[in-house]
Amino acid sequence: MTKRLLLLALSITFTIGEMPAMAHHSAAAFDPNDKVDVTGTVAELAWTSPHARLYIDVVTEDGSVEQWNFELPSPVGLMRKGWRRKDLAVGDTVTARGIRAKNGSTTAVAKAVLNSEGNPLFAGK
Amino acid sequence: MNIKLFFGVAATLLSLHSQAQWFDYPTPGIPRDADGSPDMDAPAPRTETGRPDLSGIWVAADRLEDQCDPGEECIMQMELPADQRDIARSLPDGLPLTPWGEAVRSERASRQSMDDPHARCLPPNFPRAYYFPQYFKIVQTPELMVILHEFNASYRQIFMDGRPLPEEPFPYWSGYSIGHWEGDTLVVESLGYRDDLWLDMQGTPITESARVTERITRDTFGDLSVELTIDDPKAYTRPWTVTLASEAVVDTELIEEICLENEQDVQLFEEL
Repeated sequence: MTKRLLLLALSITFTIGEMPAMAHHSAAAFDPNDKVDVTGTVAELAWTSPHARLYIDVVTEDGSVEQWNFELPSPVGLMRKGWRRKDLAVGDTVTARGIRAKNGSTTAVAKAVLNSEGNPLFAGK
Repeated sequence: MNIKLFFGVAATLLSLHSQAQWFDYPTPGIPRDADGSPDMDAPAPRTETGRPDLSGIWVAADRLEDQCDPGEECIMQMELPADQRDIARSLPDGLPLTPWGEAVRSERASRQSMDDPHARCLPPNFPRAYYFPQYFKIVQTPELMVILHEFNASYRQIFMDGRPLPEEPFPYWSGYSIGHWEGDTLVVESLGYRDDLWLDMQGTPITESARVTERITRDTFGDLSVELTIDDPKAYTRPWTVTLASEAVVDTELIEEICLENEQDVQLFEEL
């Protein structure tokens, strides 16, 4: 129940806000109503422009592994808020929440990332 | 001097130097208060010829706040300069668009700005480049001002050697610029823009017919002001003027951002 309320709060925050704050990209390719919430292990944290990307291996219900591609802010912004690429290591357990690409692939824009202790990563002030 | 002592001292000094992080390195020669913090209200520095020195790293001053409520778990957002969202926000009657200009702007906005050159990793075009979230660095010499922009490691040149503007310019992303001093104001005139450029996320146009004037002052060490006039008869029925404010950034450095190194969103736009 708490998780659903949190996702609802996130979606309200996102839709009331005007254009997304990331100057680089248009949100047109992602569906704000298609919310995802996955937990898995870090396959890679690509510290690249124009967006850092968090690749997460998630074990699905049938036991197979699917890889999610979560889009993060630019490393320029992340570094200025004090985040570093060593804040996550390959193999770390991580939870990511976001909105899915309209093409239905396992690609999303991350709205929140939590480490194995539930602490937010790549967060704002 | 004892050779071992020499190398021991040298090694210690080198390791102390490398411990000072690149992005925290203190900017030399800037005005500071007694506690070492930068004095943003100090007078603007001057060159040997007595002109204001605009050199330094700058960022747009008026930025929209991170849209995350306290207690919420949100990813950070780069603070978006208000001018980037809407360059015309201070114009009481809005933009004096021609019918062509109005049609272009509406069409760009209707496609959720997917066609924004910035979203496709194309250059940060001046004057729009003044108000991206990224930093820019001004390097001022007596006859040439160079502006380095973080986004895509871009540059702009303002020539102050008396040369005239070109008569039949090949269209550029940031046009061609010349400047001269009027007292403490640098007056920059530019033309030769591409016909398809954006001035903000709404798709506010600037075209090949544009002549742009910037009146630039550095009122204090920490404040850069650009009075920007756009005179573009193809898109606007008359010139219009806005003021862009930037603030000095010190004790840090530009970060390299090469947009095409891992760009993946354009493919998603194409699929829509």
